[in-house]
Amino acid sequence: MKFEDDSQNLRIRLRLIQGLILMMLAVLGIRLYYLQVLNGAHYAEVAENQRIRLLPIPAPRGVIFDRNNNLLVDSRPIYNVILSREDIKNVDLNSLIKPLSDGLQVDEDFLRERFDEIRSQPAFESIRVKENATQSDIAWVEAHELEFPALRVEQQPQRRYPENGMLAHVLGYVGEISPEQLDQPKYKQAGYKPGDIIGQEGLEAVYDQYLRGRDGYRKVIVDSRGHIQSEVERVEPQSGQDLVTTIDLDLQEAAEEQLRSTPSKRGVIIAMDPNNGEIFAMASAPTFDPNLFSQRINTREGRADYLALQRDPRTPLVNRAIQGRYPPGSTWKVPMAVAGLQQGAITIQHSNLLCGGGIQIGNKFTRCMGNHGTPDLKTAITKSCDGYFYRLGLKMTIGGIEQMVDEFDLNKRTGIDLPHEVVSWTPSPAFKARMNPHDPDWRDIDTVYASFGQVYDIITPMAMLRAVAGVGMGGKLYVPHLLREARAVGDPASPDYRPTRAFDRPNPKVIPIPEDQHQLVVQGMWGVVNNGGTAARIKMAGFEIAGKTGTAQVARLGEDVGEHKDHSWFISYAPAFKPEISVLVLVENVGFGATYAAPAARALYDVYYRKTRNEEPPGAQVAMRQ
Amino acid sequence: MVAMLEKRKIRDFDWLLALLAVLIVGFGTLQIHNAQPTETFWQKQLMGLGIALVAMIAVSFTDYRKLVHIAPAFYIFGLALLVIVLIPGIGMKINGQRCWIKLPALGQFQPSEFVKIPVVLMLAYYFGKPRQGNLTVKETLIGSLILLLPVGLIMLEPDTGQAITYFPLLAVVLFLSSVRMWIVLAALLLCMAGAPLAYTVGVKTGVLRGYKLERINVILDPENADRRGFGYHTWQSIVTVGKGGLTGSQSTDYSQSSLKFLPEPHTDFIFAVTAEHTGFIGCLLLLLAYAILFSRLITGARRSPDRTGMIVIMAVVGGLAFQLFINIGMAVGMLPVIGVPLPLMSAGLSSVLATFIAIGFAISIQLRRFVN
Repeated sequence: MKFEDDSQNLRIRLRLIQGLILMMLAVLGIRLYYLQVLNGAHYAEVAENQRIRLLPIPAPRGVIFDRNNNLLVDSRPIYNVILSREDIKNVDLNSLIKPLSDGLQVDEDFLRERFDEIRSQPAFESIRVKENATQSDIAWVEAHELEFPALRVEQQPQRRYPENGMLAHVLGYVGEISPEQLDQPKYKQAGYKPGDIIGQEGLEAVYDQYLRGRDGYRKVIVDSRGHIQSEVERVEPQSGQDLVTTIDLDLQEAAEEQLRSTPSKRGVIIAMDPNNGEIFAMASAPTFDPNLFSQRINTREGRADYLALQRDPRTPLVNRAIQGRYPPGSTWKVPMAVAGLQQGAITIQHSNLLCGGGIQIGNKFTRCMGNHGTPDLKTAITKSCDGYFYRLGLKMTIGGIEQMVDEFDLNKRTGIDLPHEVVSWTPSPAFKARMNPHDPDWRDIDTVYASFGQVYDIITPMAMLRAVAGVGMGGKLYVPHLLREARAVGDPASPDYRPTRAFDRPNPKVIPIPEDQHQLVVQGMWGVVNNGGTAARIKMAGFEIAGKTGTAQVARLGEDVGEHKDHSWFISYAPAFKPEISVLVLVENVGFGATYAAPAARALYDVYYRKTRNEEPPGAQVAMRQ
Repeated sequence: MVAMLEKRKIRDFDWLLALLAVLIVGFGTLQIHNAQPTETFWQKQLMGLGIALVAMIAVSFTDYRKLVHIAPAFYIFGLALLVIVLIPGIGMKINGQRCWIKLPALGQFQPSEFVKIPVVLMLAYYFGKPRQGNLTVKETLIGSLILLLPVGLIMLEPDTGQAITYFPLLAVVLFLSSVRMWIVLAALLLCMAGAPLAYTVGVKTGVLRGYKLERINVILDPENADRRGFGYHTWQSIVTVGKGGLTGSQSTDYSQSSLKFLPEPHTDFIFAVTAEHTGFIGCLLLLLAYAILFSRLITGARRSPDRTGMIVIMAVVGGLAFQLFINIGMAVGMLPVIGVPLPLMSAGLSSVLATFIAIGFAISIQLRRFVN
């Protein structure tokens, strides 16, 4: 040192400073070793994760066709406003509710609900803030990019159903998977994830696995604000399988039209191929617009509409064909006739039973609509003689009726490929005991009721049609169904290939009906239309319809009681001795079966005749119109 | 005589020190380019290096004693600059801080970076005389006054980060002016014991809360702190440093800085960028370069012809080392985020120029080590 100084130990103090600096540098070095060498891989992963984002590309859902390749349901692209979850982890979602609600015209309650839902689902990638965004919504999002960088617009296919609610109950609808569904193993195992649009009702639900495509994705690099910098990888989505249904659009439209024309505008029409169970048409009125669920359910108006549908006393959401239970009235006589012969209560040679204008059991007289003397079976069916069938029922006893119910599968689901099919209620002492605990014993009068399709017989239209069509087929009851095939998609060589899938048709249930007994019953049903029977006015020369009318008592039979008029039934098939098509019509609360149901069925036969015979139907009679 | 002097000057010029400083700035410029390849910061930094070199050489060949002699004039000029910067219209307000003066040709400059030099000179002016005995209370008070005038003005900007970097200047000077060893030890002990105590008491009493608490918590446990809020900068810097691994990643396309995860990559967080691109090896070499630089400066201080020179160099060393530790400590998540540039590395003309002038003084002092 060049200068002398009395400062305490200056040399040492300089050394101390130098030592301190080197020590600090060493500490930094150790810290760097810890971060970079020991934990470098971990931080590299963190950095990777925060810049890589997987963006799903929604796969188009399969299209639904009728049997002749007419389009029933398809999808069109719409735009959704998405809130990217990654970017808003530190943002108080509640603070977004007001500006988003104002800017995008969304219901505040809807946003609040949605944000609450999201909070309980940590795996959510993004939140759909607004569906079906308009051009001005998209412009708003773009204009507020700086303010709300987490917002983006995403394209998504949206389901489009026939506008007038045609076939709504059969097609069903799609909707976002619910948190409850996500908890069910059925959905979990199928690989559904939050936000997925899945089939919620009808064919959409039953064949969701076919209709659903496989979503693709984009692997992108984003910056700290979530803006996409580049695309690393892209996997294209695979669209779902197109569904070809058994529906015939012409018959379906005719069926809907007929129901709309009835006074009550409530009822069911089903047309089915009795040879294999393919459903040509299935209309249930009143109907609803499934687009409500696929397009508008998240809007305030949409939810109000849904609530109105749920509360509507006319139950438009119910598929009456498989979820409605009705007393079948005289249509019940068809299986009764077959079973009576089978069980030997009557024989072909001696099928005559007394009509007597009714029957006296104890102090109660149950009347017939006319006085038919002592008709044979054929006449009893043709004229719909109740007195005959009261006595047939008493001869068969309740045990025989129960056996018949079981044989015709009337106490089981038909197995149709639609969800929520209900089981009919059928007569049995146990059923009475449950229904009427004050008088639980089964009496003869109960057997009388059970034998003409009232009180204890409460059957779904689908089950009734299957039974009657089965009689037409000589005892072959096919499982009704709506799927013809799900078409193949993809390259057969690739592992993603999804082959054509047809309906997995079970063998028909066979009821052993001897040919002569079958002939006798069918002649009776043939007479209903062709031999001066209850539906004689719909006769078609050269296309012989066999059928049975029915008038199901709602309040008191035959009386005009306004709202509670009788249900009008007609169950039929044609041609009578070589069935090609069977048609069931049930119109609620309009009165006699012959007046409304039979002409509506005729309208469907006309359409069928035109399509298959390429000529105007013989003896064309304009169907009942209002 | 003059020729001989010039010759000797060139021979005695501390080439190693100058070269080391230039090399670090060059390396820093490379990292500034890595941080923001599409911006022009790295070109500006090279220009700044040119200007700074000229300034350094000019200072080197000036007799530091003459400059220290008129230190009060520099000091008053420095204070004037710090006042001027506070005047709206002259001082530019950036991020709520009024700490820049806009110059027509050179762009903008930051007085608080430069005023460190007058402060060092002023301290040397006062403490540089040969001394007898221990540090007196009067000396301590006068030293504190020299320091607190500019620090107070800087706090008005307000720029806490810069203000903090002034304190080691005085600390080093007092330490080398015979402050009693037991006072130093007591102060150190008090700091070591006081920090955790203050933290505990602060949390318990609720004085330490909100973002201030979060900024400390993220240091203590970055993985579980509020990484997207107040802990964001520290967490992203840790990730960026860690990601570099042993050898660093060469690609700048999707680096932490180019994707804007790392904030202020070319200034405050330049070290994180360096760590990401050059890895542990690069960081270690950089720290080694700084170690040599400081050792060289301290050697110069030891050889300085008088006490004034020694004080000047050591105050510079204290200031630079403190800034370095604050900045890198922040980048590696050991210290809270304080906006202090890394000497010689961070982009910024003011910082580079001020550092080079300081080094120029060190060289000037060494050049005169045989002259007495």
